[in-house]
This record gives sequence, structure tokens and C-alpha cells, in this order.
Amino acid sequence: MKLKWILVLLLAVPVFAQEQEPEPTTPTVEELDDKVKSFGEAFTEMRNSLELLNRLKFSGYLQAQYLNDERSRNELGGTTGTRNFDQFSVRRARVKFTYQFMPTARFVLQPDVSSAGVTLKDGYVEFTEPWTTWKNTLTAGQFNWPFGFEIMYSSSSREMPERSRVVRTLFPGERDRGVMVSGLGLGERLRYQVAVVNGTGTGRTDDVNKRKDVVGRVGYSFGPLDVGGSLYRGSDLVATSTQATGIEFDKDRLGVDFQWVTPVPGLGVRGEYIRGKQAPNPGTTRTQSHDVDGWYFYAIQNLGTRHQFVIRADDYDADTDVDNNAVRTLGGSYIFHWDANSKVMFAYEKPENEINDPDDNVFTVRYQYSF
Amino acid sequence: MKKLVAALLLALPLFAAKPLSIKGSDTMVIMNARLAEAFMLKQPGTAIQVTGGGSGVGIASLINGTTDIAASSRPIKTSETDKLKQRFATTGYSFPIARDGLSVYLNAANPVKELTLAQISDIYTGRITNWKQVGGRDASIILYSRENSSGTYQYFKDNVLMGKDYSPRAQTLQGTAAVVNAVAKDANGIGYGGAAYAKGIRFAAVKKDDKSPAIMPTLDTVRTGQYPISRFLYLYTRVKPSKDMKAFIDWATGPEGQQIVTKVGYFPIK
Repeated sequence: MKLKWILVLLLAVPVFAQEQEPEPTTPTVEELDDKVKSFGEAFTEMRNSLELLNRLKFSGYLQAQYLNDERSRNELGGTTGTRNFDQFSVRRARVKFTYQFMPTARFVLQPDVSSAGVTLKDGYVEFTEPWTTWKNTLTAGQFNWPFGFEIMYSSSSREMPERSRVVRTLFPGERDRGVMVSGLGLGERLRYQVAVVNGTGTGRTDDVNKRKDVVGRVGYSFGPLDVGGSLYRGSDLVATSTQATGIEFDKDRLGVDFQWVTPVPGLGVRGEYIRGKQAPNPGTTRTQSHDVDGWYFYAIQNLGTRHQFVIRADDYDADTDVDNNAVRTLGGSYIFHWDANSKVMFAYEKPENEINDPDDNVFTVRYQYSF
Repeated sequence: MKKLVAALLLALPLFAAKPLSIKGSDTMVIMNARLAEAFMLKQPGTAIQVTGGGSGVGIASLINGTTDIAASSRPIKTSETDKLKQRFATTGYSFPIARDGLSVYLNAANPVKELTLAQISDIYTGRITNWKQVGGRDASIILYSRENSSGTYQYFKDNVLMGKDYSPRAQTLQGTAAVVNAVAKDANGIGYGGAAYAKGIRFAAVKKDDKSPAIMPTLDTVRTGQYPISRFLYLYTRVKPSKDMKAFIDWATGPEGQQIVTKVGYFPIK
């Protein structure tokens, strides 16, 4: 009985409380006007903040993989470090930040986080002139060498796990520091890129020689067929057996490339040939650079929107004056595009040199998520 | 037996025809929806999904394989064709489906009746900021624009602003309907967009230069090219159209489809 009375009283409390509230007054037109103005100001502030945020864009991708390499050995403390390559790893994990700080200028930063550590891949500012249709752009910082096709083709789009041997060897890291001018004209069919760079790549933090390297590419599109020619002129300072402070060796490359959308539905082919002069390794007795050359060829067949079948052949001759030292690799992959963001790649590569075929074939399963 | 029937019923959705998807231009979304509705009535069993998002979004979806057809109110860019080449080994296929007189919207109470292309450019790049500078009242011009993924935004920038950048004062709105709505409510507002959206606002007559006549976007002036800011509206595909896709595009660009294009407020391609 007592409990019931307490409940009734408690329920009645809000009724009394409401009765004690003052009667609401009707707001005046001025008050409403002030409120609308304050909402307007708040909206403008929010819009301005949003526009600032809209200038910042980020994209990225992560590649998780399992690799099986025939060279793998169970061996601790091998002379060349670990001998086991069969392992899970994060091959690449990149986030690209782009801040458009002016309508014609942007800032780009792309760190890479992989199992090997954190490195800076891209870091540059770009200014595009607004006066002509050539969209001439000045880029300063760290960026891809403007040479050929495969260097500038994103690792997230590439149809094989790694770049071809000739590109990996002659352009390690694919990037350098310097300034670049680029543009496109003739109805956007002609593209040019010319850069002055340190010539050290990103493997060193400093440039050991005073001379700067020049690298560039000119490309033309005939619609389904794109062709390009590239040139690199520079030098490397290398310690020799007679001069520990180093002497300058020529570092030159000349390349031609093509990409063709064939008349066969979904079939694209591309290739590149590079020749040049490569400096020897430190401690050399040589006094001149030696000639190198190499090429690659891809055939990519798309089936529908989800399936890609790829064949790649590549070849690299580390010294054209020396017999039997070229390495040729035949490889293939199947790529399943799960959705717009993720894909799975199964790739197999079989390198062989001119004399024999050592046990060094590699099988890779890679999952990539991009956003 | 029951189990078998149940399994077959559950598996049916796997074999059901996937609807044809059209994604992209907000300018074209109403037109595409009307075309799709009429085509589906004519061809029962065909399913077409139409969504907007902007021309850039539509073409990006074509590149990443999530739409069959991209609707775009601007021509595809070289950089986008490059991505199609790299990902799908195709240069893509384009189908102009309508013409549009890209119109300049003014509030019904605005005394300004006509503008030259140079004045429109100066207004949108921020060189002209007051209506009295173009023969109107002494009032600040309020600019309404589109988001940068919009094909209309890009087309206007390329062909009216001649590549120059929009004034930072331009307010970005999502979709042509939002621009029309804003101008209809704002006596000092100006906007731009498709000719099909003229509700509660009026068009400015556009002069190519000081000496040219002022032209309104009409069927004749757009078709003959007299109206200085006319453009094609496109459908883009990755592959050469076949089956339902071909039937739809053939029909949309044929007499029946073009009638719907005209009804919606755009202009036929021929």
C-alpha cells in the first residue's frame, strides 16, 4: 500500500513541475532574424572548413603476400643473411596524401610501410601553369624517374608482382630527387617530361658527385597505340682499386617503349627496350662503364571485368661484351578482381640464364586492398 | 526432391540477369532514368539501374568495373582513357545521346537579361563582383557552382572560363537541381547547368562577344550552334555494346529515345 502511494507521487511530480514552468514567449521577428543570421554564420564557417578539408585527399593500398622461392634454405647466419625467402610479408603499404593548396599547385607525400621498414616514396610540390593548354607543370622534390613506361606505372596496377629485371637493375627504387618539367600538347597526344636529378636514386641520402643527371621521355598516342622514347645522361662516382676517392663513370640509358590495345577484345600488349652504359661495382679495376641492355614484353588478356591472365618475358644482359651472362625470365599471373578495391594475384616466375636453369623459380600469392 | 527444388530456387538469383547499370552525370540522371523506364516498359525482362554522382564518378566506375555505362556531360579525359587502356585494354566507346545548351541561371527578379561570355567568365573567376558592373542593381553577385567531380563544372571551366579557376567565393552545390533552387531563392544569385532544369529561374541570353546577338538556349539555337555554350551529353562503355546494352543505346539514340530527350528538356543529337 505504501509502495503504491510512493509510485503515484513520483509519477505526479513531472505534472507539477510542468505547471511551474513559465509560459513560452513568442520570439520576435528580430530574434528570429538573429537566429537565422547566426545559423548562416555557422553554416559559412562549416562550409569553409569543409572546403579546406576537401583540398586534402588521400588514397592508398596494402599488399599482403606469401612468397615461395626455390632458393630458400633452412640456414641461420648465412653469408648473405637469411636464406629463407618462403614467408608472409607486407610487400607495400602506402598512403598518398595530396593537398591542393592552390588551384594550380599541390603537395604530394607518399610514405611506404613494408616489412622492411618505413621509407618515403614520393614527396614533391607541383605547380601547373594556367596560361596555355599544354598544362606545363613544374615538379620539385622526390618523384619517379621520367623514363619508359614501367617505372611510372603504379605498383598497385602492375600485373606482375615486381618490375622487370632490367628496370629493377638500372633504375633501383624508381625514384630520385630533383626538378622536373612536364606537359602535354597536340590535343593531349604528345607528352613530355624532362628532369634534372641527383642521379643517386633514393638509396643514398646525399649526392656524392657535383654533376647532375638529366632524364626525360617524349611519348605520343595514336589512340590504341602509345609509343615513347626515353633518354638518361649522367654519371656515377665509384671507388676503384686505384682511386679510393672515386672516379666518374658514365651512366647512360636509351629506351623505347610501346603500349598497344590490340583489336582482340580485352587484349593489351606492351614492351620496352633499354640499352645503356652502367658503372662497375666499387673496387673495380675498370676505367670505363660497360654496355648493358634488356627488354620486357607483357601480354594481358582481360576476361570480363574480374579476370586477368598475364604473360611476361623479360631479359637483362649485365654486360653485352661478356658471353652467357644474360638472365631471361618467363612469368605469368592470374589476377582476380574481387571488387573495385581488392584483388588477388597468383604469379609464377621462372628465371634462367644463358647456360643453365638454376632452382630459383618464385611463386607469389598476393592480396591487395586499395582505397 | 524438395531439397533439390529448394536448392534450385536459392540458386536462381545467381543466374538471374544482372541489371544494366548506368552511373555518372547528375545533369543526365533524370533523362537517363526516363529513358530507362521507357525502355524497360518496351522490353520487359530488361533491368536498367540509373544512379548519379557526377561525370567523374561515373567514369571512375567504368574504369574500376563497377558500372556498365558511364553517363558524362563532358568528353572523357586523356588521363581517364589511359586508365581504361591499362586496366581493360580498351580505349572505350562513346555515344552522344543528347545536346544541351549549358544555361546561365538568374533569379526571376534580376533585371540583367543578357551577358557576354567574357562577362560570365569574369563573374565566375571573381573579376566582376557586383551586378551593377554588368548593368544590374548595386548588389554583390552570389556565385553558385558545382562540385569538381561534375562534368558540368569541368565543361563550364574549360569552355566558358577558358581553363581559369573558379573564384573561391563560388559556393559548391551538389547537383544542378540544388543550383537552380539556390538561384530561385537568391535575388543576387547566378548559377549554371543543364537547360532542362529551368524551374523558378530564368536563363540569361548569352552573347559570344559585345557585337554578337544575345541568344537564348532553344532547340533551334542549340541545334544550329548559334547558342554559344552547347555541348553533347555522352554515354561511355568499356566494351563494344552488345545484347541489352546495344539495344538500349540504339533505342535511346533513335527516334523514340530522342523524343524522351526532348521531353525532359534537352535537345536531340541530330
